[in-house]
Amino acid sequence: MSSSAEPQAAPRAGRWLTASRRMHLFAYALVLPAIALILGLVAYPFLYAIYVAFTDRMVGSAGNWVGFANFRYLAGTAVFSSAIWNTVVLVVVTDILKLLIGLGLALLVNQHLPGRGLFRAFLMLPWAMPAFVAFLTWRVLYQPIGGGLNLILTQTGIYPHVIDWLGKRETAMPSVILASVWRGFPFWFISILAALQSIPKDLYEAARVDGANAWQRFWMVTFPGIRQVLIVTTLLSSIWTANAFEHVWLLTQGGPSDATMVFPVLAYFGMQTQRIGEAAAVSVAMLPVLAILVIIATSMLQKDED
Amino acid sequence: MTVEHGMRAWTRRHVMAAASVVALAIAAGGAPALAQDKPFAGTKLTFWGGLIFSEAANKLLVEAVEAWGEANGVETDVVMINQNEMVQKLSAAVESKTLPDAVDLSLELLLVLSRQGVFVPLDDVYEAVGKAQGGWYEAVDKASDTSAVASGRTGLPFGVTGNLLLRRTDLLGAAGFDKAPATWDELVAQSAAVTEAPVSGLGLALSNVGDGNVQVSVMQSFGGRIADDTGKTVTIKSDATRAYLTWLKNAWDKGVFPPGNATWDGAGDNQAYLSGQAAFIANTGSVGLAAKSQDPELYETTGYSPLPAGSVGTISPIMLQMRAIPAASKNQAAAKALLAHLSEPAFTSAYYASAIYGPVLQAEAKLPAFDGSDPIHAGLLDLVKNGSAPGYPDVYNAAFADAFSNFIIPKMAQRVVIDGWDFDKAMDEAQTQAQAIYDKY
Repeated sequence: MSSSAEPQAAPRAGRWLTASRRMHLFAYALVLPAIALILGLVAYPFLYAIYVAFTDRMVGSAGNWVGFANFRYLAGTAVFSSAIWNTVVLVVVTDILKLLIGLGLALLVNQHLPGRGLFRAFLMLPWAMPAFVAFLTWRVLYQPIGGGLNLILTQTGIYPHVIDWLGKRETAMPSVILASVWRGFPFWFISILAALQSIPKDLYEAARVDGANAWQRFWMVTFPGIRQVLIVTTLLSSIWTANAFEHVWLLTQGGPSDATMVFPVLAYFGMQTQRIGEAAAVSVAMLPVLAILVIIATSMLQKDED
Repeated sequence: MTVEHGMRAWTRRHVMAAASVVALAIAAGGAPALAQDKPFAGTKLTFWGGLIFSEAANKLLVEAVEAWGEANGVETDVVMINQNEMVQKLSAAVESKTLPDAVDLSLELLLVLSRQGVFVPLDDVYEAVGKAQGGWYEAVDKASDTSAVASGRTGLPFGVTGNLLLRRTDLLGAAGFDKAPATWDELVAQSAAVTEAPVSGLGLALSNVGDGNVQVSVMQSFGGRIADDTGKTVTIKSDATRAYLTWLKNAWDKGVFPPGNATWDGAGDNQAYLSGQAAFIANTGSVGLAAKSQDPELYETTGYSPLPAGSVGTISPIMLQMRAIPAASKNQAAAKALLAHLSEPAFTSAYYASAIYGPVLQAEAKLPAFDGSDPIHAGLLDLVKNGSAPGYPDVYNAAFADAFSNFIIPKMAQRVVIDGWDFDKAMDEAQTQAQAIYDKY
């Protein structure tokens, strides 16, 4: 019986494993290592961090499930409210400034100017500089005594008094924003410049023939041409700024008081006191904001493609 | 011939017998005897040392561990870690189960991690070292006792630090002040007298770093407490704390604090003093050591004194540096031997001369470093003899250490001077945050 059943099964298997299916299986086998890597390096830590945020875990202890206790505790602290507000202000203001500076410079450098290659390279310097070096340099510039900015202001007579840029609530956040914009605008500049160079020149010629002025040419030809790049750049820049740690840490450590406290620095303070559950809760609390940003950007891109 | 032959035969037998005896001795008792000399031979040991401000002291520590390893046939790996980064490094090592065999750390971190069973008890080493060197100083003995949070003493003290008040005698002398300020009010008065750009008198940090926690001592010297005698109920909101905040606000309004002191990092006060921008700072003595080599003139004009007193007296707590052995270590016996070795005068005599630590053992007071010729070491010796216990008058438990690490008091100070909050609102926030921390223990 068995000897007669085996030959019958073989043709069935053969029929199931058609050439098309074999091709699909082969394709799945090829992407399997990548899926395993993503699961191991992205999905697992991501889901584990969410789990830890709901525990009272400390360094060296497994911790217990505490539900939303960490989030309730955070919501009750003034510093958490400050972190939300400061993160939003930092992201929105720096992105707007980086957009204006990046777009302006990209439009300028896109013209046929002498030495523009050198100028382009020069503009990339802040981006090429290690963040650590850049922000420590800014910290020195902001020093009340002997700092470059105060020296310029006092020596030129623009403002005779020393300004404690990083030590006063009123000036600390603008100082952090200025340093962050300086470091981050080249990314916007180079992205927009690349998009500008992909716009066919014929469109500008046609618009000119139709009598469009400079603003109309920008709004009707340039802007649609760089729209997708702007969306992606805004998304990436917002995520990077919201997640960035070094600019605030190296300049103010979140102070004075909580004037520049942002999510990553708050999470770091949690880690410093070994309370991993609370630190994870701070990071997880950022997720909805970032998720909304991603959803908006993706739907805008989808709309453009449609 | 016969005689010669007989002698040769006897000699050969004798040699053979002697060789057999030696072989037997080695086989039966000699080998263990050799093994007892080097019981850890062939093992590996990783030691994480705390990097301090003195390069000479760091070098001495590394060389001492390596020399001990060579003498005992142990392969040693010494990693020196910035003390400011020890919390992060150790936390990561605990989580990733990659702890070293022995480690230097602060008493606060030892207390918090000992609750989680991270370290093994060292009572036997503690007792043996104490007995060999005239006993531990009383303050050290009490402060380093971790039995309340672990199953014994989990750390071996090796250095006392604490804050001394450093002052510019040249500036203050010119302003008519020849004596160190005895009270916080005198400190503000002297600071105000010498404050003129670019010098600001009072170089105390108010930021979220370890130096900012000097404010805890200031508050306590006005009678303020973080918690009650049970060490469980937070008592920050009080008239005594209000008195401290009144002193702080008055000093702030007089403009005696250097600009930026609310965002200083761990080196902020050091830099302010070394660059001549502060007339007073509270420091462990590392700045004096740096001035000795970088700016001898500043070193000569620096005076050292205890922290000033508030309305209820002086609070000048000692802080302890500890050595511990993680429970995860596979070479605990060797690590214990190393820790005992590093407590011996042969090493500590040279180490204390270069480091900025006060002694922990009675016999160490007789070492050359503490003969009184150096004002920093003399101050540290005085601190271990007369300073307050860590946290005093508060109960020094894990909750206190946690609140300390969360910079509850410097943050309250910032709320008053930076944000302009009224005292009640600032105290309420500090009280709530601290109680949330204490409730976890």
